Amino acid sequence: MTDLTVSQKSLGAEVAVRTAPYFPRKKKAITGRSIAVIVFLSVCALFFCVPLYVVITTSFKTMDQIREGAMFALPNVWTLEAWDHAWNTACSGTRCEGLKVGFWNSVYILIPSLALSIGLSIVTGYALALWNVRWAGPFLFVLFICAFVPFQIIMFPLISMTATLKVYGSIWGVAIIHAVLAMPVLTLIFRNYYKDIPQEIMSAAVMDSGSFWKIFFEIILPMSGNILIVVLILQITSIWNDYLIGVTFGGLGGQPMTVNLANLITISTGTVRYNDNMAAALLTAIPPLVIYFFVGKLFVQGITAGAIKG
Amino acid sequence: MTFRWSRWSPQLALVPAGLVTLVAFIGAILWTVYLSLTRSRRLPEYEIDWSEWGRQYQRLFNDDAWLISLQNLIVLGLGSALAIVFGFILAAMIDREKRGESIFRTVFLYPLAISLIVTGAAWRWMFNPELGVEHFIHSIGLTWVNASWLARPETAMYGVILASVWQSAGFYMALMLAGLKSINSEIWSAARLDGVGLFRLYTEIIIPMMKFTFVTCAILLSLGVIKAYDVIVAMTNGGPGQSTYVPAYFTIQALSAKGNLGFASAAAVLMLLITAVIFLPLVLLTAWQQRRSGARA
Repeated sequence: MTDLTVSQKSLGAEVAVRTAPYFPRKKKAITGRSIAVIVFLSVCALFFCVPLYVVITTSFKTMDQIREGAMFALPNVWTLEAWDHAWNTACSGTRCEGLKVGFWNSVYILIPSLALSIGLSIVTGYALALWNVRWAGPFLFVLFICAFVPFQIIMFPLISMTATLKVYGSIWGVAIIHAVLAMPVLTLIFRNYYKDIPQEIMSAAVMDSGSFWKIFFEIILPMSGNILIVVLILQITSIWNDYLIGVTFGGLGGQPMTVNLANLITISTGTVRYNDNMAAALLTAIPPLVIYFFVGKLFVQGITAGAIKG
Repeated sequence: MTFRWSRWSPQLALVPAGLVTLVAFIGAILWTVYLSLTRSRRLPEYEIDWSEWGRQYQRLFNDDAWLISLQNLIVLGLGSALAIVFGFILAAMIDREKRGESIFRTVFLYPLAISLIVTGAAWRWMFNPELGVEHFIHSIGLTWVNASWLARPETAMYGVILASVWQSAGFYMALMLAGLKSINSEIWSAARLDGVGLFRLYTEIIIPMMKFTFVTCAILLSLGVIKAYDVIVAMTNGGPGQSTYVPAYFTIQALSAKGNLGFASAAAVLMLLITAVIFLPLVLLTAWQQRRSGARA
């Protein structure tokens, strides 16, 4: 064995492992193969980081330096000018009030839409998973299909309906549509989580003359912490990152940040201010990135639980 | 009284979700299907001339932009499939070489947290013909390299594909990593004992064992490709010309820019059909898996 010296160093661990049957996973020395793997992975990691690096450095550059064309160079002078400009005065369409308008719109969309979508689907998921509902099977199947329906096929009718309800073109319109579109997926997630609750708990609860709502608030809701956090992360990132619903239902006053950003980067009159664009892109990306870096593991859980959404 | 109430409560609790499904999904789909048979233009018309009920579909298939969209859908689908391949390679390597697992995972997955509009903005800047990557490559002397893909109709789709692969490869890596971890560790030992080569181990044992993970990934990918819209808007806006049109973009363009409701509805119905074709294996797969787990329990 080539790694004899290493295994002597970690003798304690080795002894513990030796009691395990068959091939214990040894503490390996760095072999040629693993160096190759690490180099390959590092190159890939570089590929994943380059856009972020370019976006960050560009956002701190002056336009003069950008015109020189050294894309990968660090800023000569670090300046926050572009950030200030993107936040306060960048033009989205004809209005030049910066991204701050869109940022607050996104926040105002997020709150009611989270409350609506989670409130609606948690109760539905609970009822479908734990109570005898006659049409539960077919209903779940229909929800499953609805989760995959392309938005375009229901877009015009939804515009008509929201217009009739007088919420089209406002923050509320966007929030309600988010809640409607997320309902099937979230219901399935909640239902899958609740169906593992043992029937005995439910029987005991019903015996204690617990009513539907009483059991929900006193037993089920306190048990739902984990799944609620996962769903919350899933919903916050997907609502924040949405573009299509915002641009379709937001009208002129209720557009989220992503729509402002898209207008900024696609409608170019005169010289394009790349540093402003990149600062704006970063401002839009920061909230979900912060969530990702702080609760990465839960983020992954959320995304894979919602993987069904595609 | 309480007993009766608790019998009815679950059914009542389902009423809102049932209404949403019935109205916003089923009703809306039927509504759009109906509109696709009418002559509706900017405003809906509800008269169907049965002698030419398929006229919107006929127009659709006479429209070059729609045919380009369908072609691009296939190109984008095949190109994005690289994300699955790439994701699997990354997952396999991370799984074999445990060093730095969490760092690599974090780096590969972060693009997924970012909006496709932001992704598009970043890559649009990288592909900038005068200042972007191409300028850099030329400045180090490789003047024959052509890297401003978005500027030309023949290559614009490649740019979109690169950005989508960049954004989603981490997601497939995460799914694959979960799949790899669920493989019994004795298989690795047994394979090593038998002296099976690494390549054969993966192609003949590991990949066949993970076929359901692959199928799931493929279905999720194709559904994502049909819905691809944001990334097109942010990177090319359908251009140059109509070279990066995809069905999702075409449909919304037909509705909002051209203001042609009947036409857009027909395109949306075809999108639904394509989705249904892809969706079918997923239904069968889930049914199969449910039966399998049901049999085990």
